[in-house]
Amino acid sequence: MPDTSRRGLLFGTAAIGAGALLTACTSNEPEAKASTPAKQPAAADDKPGKHVTIGFAGPQADHGWLNAINVQAKQRAESYSDVTFVPTEGSNDTAVQIGQIDTLINKKVDVLVVLPGDGKALTQAGLKAMRAGIPVINLDRIFDTPQAYRCWIGGDNYGMGLNAGHYIGEKLKGKPDAKVVELAGIDNLELTRQRTQGFDDALKTYPNIKKVARQAADFTVESGQAKMAQLLQAQKKFDALWNHDDDQGVGALRAIDQAGRDGFLMVGGAGAKSAMDHIKADDGVLKATVLYPPSMAASAIDLARALGQAKGISGISESETPTQIAVFSAVVDKTNIDKYLPTGFN
Amino acid sequence: MTQPASEAQQGGADAVPATDPPPAARADTAKAAPGPGGKNRDGRSPGGRGRLGLRFDARSLSLLAVLAALVLVGGITKPDEFLAVSNLQLVLTQASVIGVVTVGATFVITSGGIDLSVGAIVALASVWATTLATQNYGFAGIAFTAVVVGLGCGLVNGVLIAYGRMVPFIATLAMLASARGLALQLTDGKTQVVSVQSVLDLGSRDSYVLGIPPLVLVFAGVTVVGWLVLNRTTFGRRTVAVGGNPEAARLAGIDVRRQRLYLYLLSGLCCGIAAFLLVILSGSGQNTNGNLYELDSIAAAIIGGTLLSGGRGTIVGSVLGVLVFTTITNIFALNNLQTDVQQIAKGVIIVAAVLVQRRSAGPGEA
Amino acid sequence: MAPAPPDPALLTMSAITKSFPGVRALDGVELSVRAGEVHCLLGQNGAGKSTLIKVLAGAHQPDDGEITWRGERVTLKSPTAAMRLGIATIYQELDLVEGLSVAENIFLGHELTTAGFVVRGREARRRATALLQRLGHPEIPPGRPVGDLSAAQQQIVSMARALSHDVRLIVMDEPSAALDPDEVDNLFRVVSTLVADGVAVVYISHRLEEIRRIGDRVTVLKDGRTVAVGLPAKRTPTAEVVTLMTGRAVENAFPARPSAPTTPAEPLLVVEGLGRQGEFAPFDLEVRPGEIVGLAGLVGSGRSEILETIYGARKPSTGRVLVGGRPLRPGSVRSAVRAGLGLAPEERKAQGLLMLDTVTGNVSVSTLSRFSRGGWLDRSAERAAAHAATRELSLRPDNPDAAVRTLSGGNQQKAVLARWLLRGCRVLLLDEPTRGVDVGARAELYAVIRRLADDGLAVLLVSSEVPEVLGLADRVLVLREGRIVHRAPAGDLDEHRVLDLVMEGSPTP
Repeated sequence: MPDTSRRGLLFGTAAIGAGALLTACTSNEPEAKASTPAKQPAAADDKPGKHVTIGFAGPQADHGWLNAINVQAKQRAESYSDVTFVPTEGSNDTAVQIGQIDTLINKKVDVLVVLPGDGKALTQAGLKAMRAGIPVINLDRIFDTPQAYRCWIGGDNYGMGLNAGHYIGEKLKGKPDAKVVELAGIDNLELTRQRTQGFDDALKTYPNIKKVARQAADFTVESGQAKMAQLLQAQKKFDALWNHDDDQGVGALRAIDQAGRDGFLMVGGAGAKSAMDHIKADDGVLKATVLYPPSMAASAIDLARALGQAKGISGISESETPTQIAVFSAVVDKTNIDKYLPTGFN
Repeated sequence: MTQPASEAQQGGADAVPATDPPPAARADTAKAAPGPGGKNRDGRSPGGRGRLGLRFDARSLSLLAVLAALVLVGGITKPDEFLAVSNLQLVLTQASVIGVVTVGATFVITSGGIDLSVGAIVALASVWATTLATQNYGFAGIAFTAVVVGLGCGLVNGVLIAYGRMVPFIATLAMLASARGLALQLTDGKTQVVSVQSVLDLGSRDSYVLGIPPLVLVFAGVTVVGWLVLNRTTFGRRTVAVGGNPEAARLAGIDVRRQRLYLYLLSGLCCGIAAFLLVILSGSGQNTNGNLYELDSIAAAIIGGTLLSGGRGTIVGSVLGVLVFTTITNIFALNNLQTDVQQIAKGVIIVAAVLVQRRSAGPGEA
Repeated sequence: MAPAPPDPALLTMSAITKSFPGVRALDGVELSVRAGEVHCLLGQNGAGKSTLIKVLAGAHQPDDGEITWRGERVTLKSPTAAMRLGIATIYQELDLVEGLSVAENIFLGHELTTAGFVVRGREARRRATALLQRLGHPEIPPGRPVGDLSAAQQQIVSMARALSHDVRLIVMDEPSAALDPDEVDNLFRVVSTLVADGVAVVYISHRLEEIRRIGDRVTVLKDGRTVAVGLPAKRTPTAEVVTLMTGRAVENAFPARPSAPTTPAEPLLVVEGLGRQGEFAPFDLEVRPGEIVGLAGLVGSGRSEILETIYGARKPSTGRVLVGGRPLRPGSVRSAVRAGLGLAPEERKAQGLLMLDTVTGNVSVSTLSRFSRGGWLDRSAERAAAHAATRELSLRPDNPDAAVRTLSGGNQQKAVLARWLLRGCRVLLLDEPTRGVDVGARAELYAVIRRLADDGLAVLLVSSEVPEVLGLADRVLVLREGRIVHRAPAGDLDEHRVLDLVMEGSPTP
C-alpha cells in the first residue's frame, strides 16, 4: 500500500515537527528566579561552629507546599558554611523512605531531619536512628512516640482551623444569621480532621454564625474547582468560606469566578504565593490566608545544626533544644501582607 | 524479494471489490433497513452494533432508569438547587472532562484492550500545555500542545502494544508511571496558573452558547463523533471485530495491529482534548490532574454496558455511566454529605446499577 | 465388586422437561442406563443432548420430570450433588486448569489434605499415577502441567479426575472429536475397562461407526424429544438411526463429481516448494478452478499448518505461494485475502467467528471497505449483500440479524463460507469444515462446497475423516508427519488404503 506509507511518512514528519515544537514548550524558566524565598534571620547563633552533617528525608514534592519544604530546607542548609546537607530522593512510599533513612543512618550523619510520608508508619525508622545515636528532628507529620525523635517541629493544624474561625468570626461580628462554608482538604488525613475541629471550635464562640456546608476536596486544583462548584450550587448565599489549602484554592477561585459569585469573604490556607498575590491586589473574594508555614523546614535545619553543635536556641533561656515546637499559623490579610509575601510558595 | 511484485498485485486486486458494489444489494436497501420487524430482530441481536437508529438497548435503558431515580432523589431532597438550570449546566460541565476520556476508553475496551494511562496523560498534557513557554503561544499553543501531547502518548502506547507486542495492561501502566513522573518533573510540584485570557474566558458564563457551556458542547461533539465512528464506520466495526475475536479478525484479513495502534492513538487524542477542557475548567495545569481517571473511565464504560473482555461497546452507555457518577457526586454535595458517606454510597450504587442491568438484560448474558 | 447382574436401571430419567426463554430444550425426555453398559446418546445439534447431560450433571435444574438413581428418587441440585452420587461428566471442552499439574487437576476441588488445608502433594501424585495406570496411560507424568499435554492425554486426565471420585456413571460428550484413530482405539480400551468394572458410560458421538464398535444400547433424541429408547447399538441399521435423527433418509451424502474436467484450466493456486521448519517438508501443489483437492492426514501431521502457511497466517521458511500466477507476500494474511484466498479455520469459534456479533457482522467483516465511502458504512447495503450471500448458501434461520452464537455448527460454517463468497474469493481453504456439524447438515454442506467449486473456485480441503476426503475431493494428497506420501485421484483410493498410508506412510507399490 504505497498510499498508506506515504500517509505514514507525512504523519511521521508532522509528529517530529510537533515534537520539536513541544520540547521548546516544557520550559518554566522566567518565573523560576522569582520564587527564591527571601533570607530570614537565623534562629540559632550564626557564627560558624563545629561542622555538622544533616541528613534530610522528605516526601515526593508533588504539591506546592511540599516543594516549598524541600526548597526551604536546602537553602537554609546552604546558607551555613558549617553544614553539609545530605538530602534523599523524595518518596511517598513508606518502604522506600524507611530504606532511605537506613541509608542515612549508615552514612553516619550527625543529625537527621525527617518529614515522613506517613508519620505513624515511619516511627520504627525514627527509633532506629535514635538508638544509633543520631538525633532526629521530626518535621511536621509526627511519629507515634516521642522516643522516636529528639525534637518535633511542625504545624499546628488545630490552631490553623482555630485562627481561621476566629478571623472569620471577627469579620462577621454583628452580622445576624451569618452562614459559613468550609472547603476541606483530603478527608482521609488526620490533619484535615484537626483543622475542621479547630475551625468548628472557634465558630462556637460566635452565636450569630452557623456552618451550613462542608465538602472535602483533595488538595488538587481539579478537585478544588469541582467541589467548590458544587458548594456554590448548593448554597445560594453565604457570608464566608474557609478553604483549607491554597493549591486547591486556585480551583475554588476559578469555580467562584465561573459561577460569577461574590459578596462573601474567603479565607485560604497554607500560604501560597498566588493566594498572597490576590490578597495584596485585593482583586476578589480572597481576603486572607492562614499560614501553615513551610519555613518550619528551615527552622528544622536550624534546630539540627544547634543539636549537632550542642547549643541551645538563642532567645530563650533553655540551655538545651526543646523537644516540641509547634509553629504559629498566622492569618495573613491586607494589613500584614507585606511581611509575609516573601514566604509565599509557588 | 518478491515485495514489488506483490505490492503491485495487491493494489490491483484491491481495486476490484472497491469499485464493485453488488447491484442486488443496492436494490434491497430500502426495504431491508428499518421496517417494523427490525425491532424484534434487533432485540435478539447481540448489541453493541446492529442497533438501528438511536434506539437504546436494554442496558442503556436500565441505566437511564438509574439516572431517572437519581434525578428523583435529587429533586426531592433539594428541589430548588438540584432542578435549577444552573445545576444542569454544572453537572454536564463536571462530566465533560471525564466524559471525553471515557469515550476514548470505550473504544479501547471494546477492542479488548485497556488504557490505564488516561489520567496520567491528562495530567501530562495539561501541564505541558500550561508551561510559561507554551502560554507564550496563547490559545492555539495551549490547545495544540494538549492535543499533540495526548496523541504522542497514545502513539507510544499503541506502538508498544501493537508492534512491541506488550500486554496493554503493562504498557499503559508503564505510561501511567512515566507520564506522571514527567508531569511532576515539568512542574516541580507547582501549580501552573493560566494567564491567557481567551482560554480562561471559555470557562466563564459569558461564553455559554444558548445556555450551553462550551465544555459541554465539546463533550457532546466528541460523543456524537464517537458514536458515529463506533457504529457507522468500518473503523468502528473493525474495533468490535478485533475485540470480539482478534484471531478471527486477523484471519478475516483485518490488520489487527494497525487497528490497535489507531485505537490507542484515539484514546490519547481524547485525553489531550480532555486535558485542554480541564485547563479551561481549572484555569491551571497541575501534575495531580486526572487523578484516578483510569478507574472512573473504565467503571463508567463497564456499567454502561461495554464488555471488559471486548467485542461489545456502547458510547451511549458510557456517557450515561459518566452522567450517573457525576449526578451522584452532585446530589451528595448538594445534600452536604461527607466523603465517607459518598464513597460508601458510590460503591453501593455501582453494584446496584450492574445488578439492575443484568436483570433487564435477561438470561443468556453473563 | 461383583459383576452386576443385568439389574435394570442404574439411572432412570423420565419425562424430563426443561425450557429456556423462547426455547423448549427438553420435552419429556426418557433415558435409562444400566450398570456396566455403554449407552449411546444420539441426536443432531440442538436435539437436546447437551441440555440433557447438563441436567444429569446437576448444572441445569429440570422444570419437570423424575430422576431415579439406584432405585431412589433424587434431585441433582448442583454439580457437587451429582458428583457425590457418583455421576461424573467429561465435557467436550475439557475443564482442566492448564497451569496446574496432572495430579493437581485430578484432585481439584477434593484435594488430599492433612488437617484440612495442607495439600499432600506426594500422596496425590501417587494416587494419580495409580489412576492413570488403571486407564492404561502410565506414561503421563503426574507432575507435568496439563497445558503441556496433548489433547488426547488431557482427556485421559479428565477421565482420571472422574475416577478419582467413587464414580458409577461417566458421561462423555463427544470424546473422540479431537482424537486420531489410534487414540480413539485407546479411548475405547479405557471405556471397556471401565465397563468391565461395572461403571456405566453414557457416550455421545456423531460418529455412527464408533457407536457400533463400543455401544450397547442407543437412545436417540430429536428436537428435545426421545424418538427411540434402548435400540441395540450393534444391530440397528445405519439408515434407521439416521432416519430417526434427521427425520428423513439420507442417501447420497456426497454430491456427484462433475463428469469430466472439460478443458483443464490453468491452475489458480500454485504452491512451490513451500515448507516450514519443524512442521512440514517443502512440497508442491496445484489447484485448478472447479477442483477440490483433499489433504488427508492425522492430527499433528501438519495439515492445518500447511493451510495456515498458504494463507499467510504463518511465515514459510522456504518456497512461495502464487495465486493466478502472482506470488503472495509471505506471512501476510492481508496479501492472501487481497489475492482472493479465503480460509474456514479448524477452530470455528476461536478463529473464525465473532461470537458476539450478528450473521451480517460475521459475513461482511472481510468486505467492509466495499460498503464504505471514506470509512462511512452503508449499513443497509452491507446487510442486504450479506443476506444475499447467506441466502445463497441457505443459511438457517434466514435472518441476517440473528446472533451467530445461536446458530448450529453447520450454519455457523455457512456464515464463514458466506464471508468469502461475499468477498468474491477465488481460492477456498477449508480446515475440517464439518467438525461439530450434524450428519444431516453435513450433506448439505458438502453440496454447498461442491457447488462453489462448480462455480469456478479452487478448493483445498483438510479433513481427518477419510470418507469425507474421499467422497468430496477430486484429488487426494496423503500427509504423514509433515510429508506428502501419496497423491492420487480420489476414485483410485479407498478408505483402507488411505488409513494405511496415513499411519504407515508406505509408498504405493
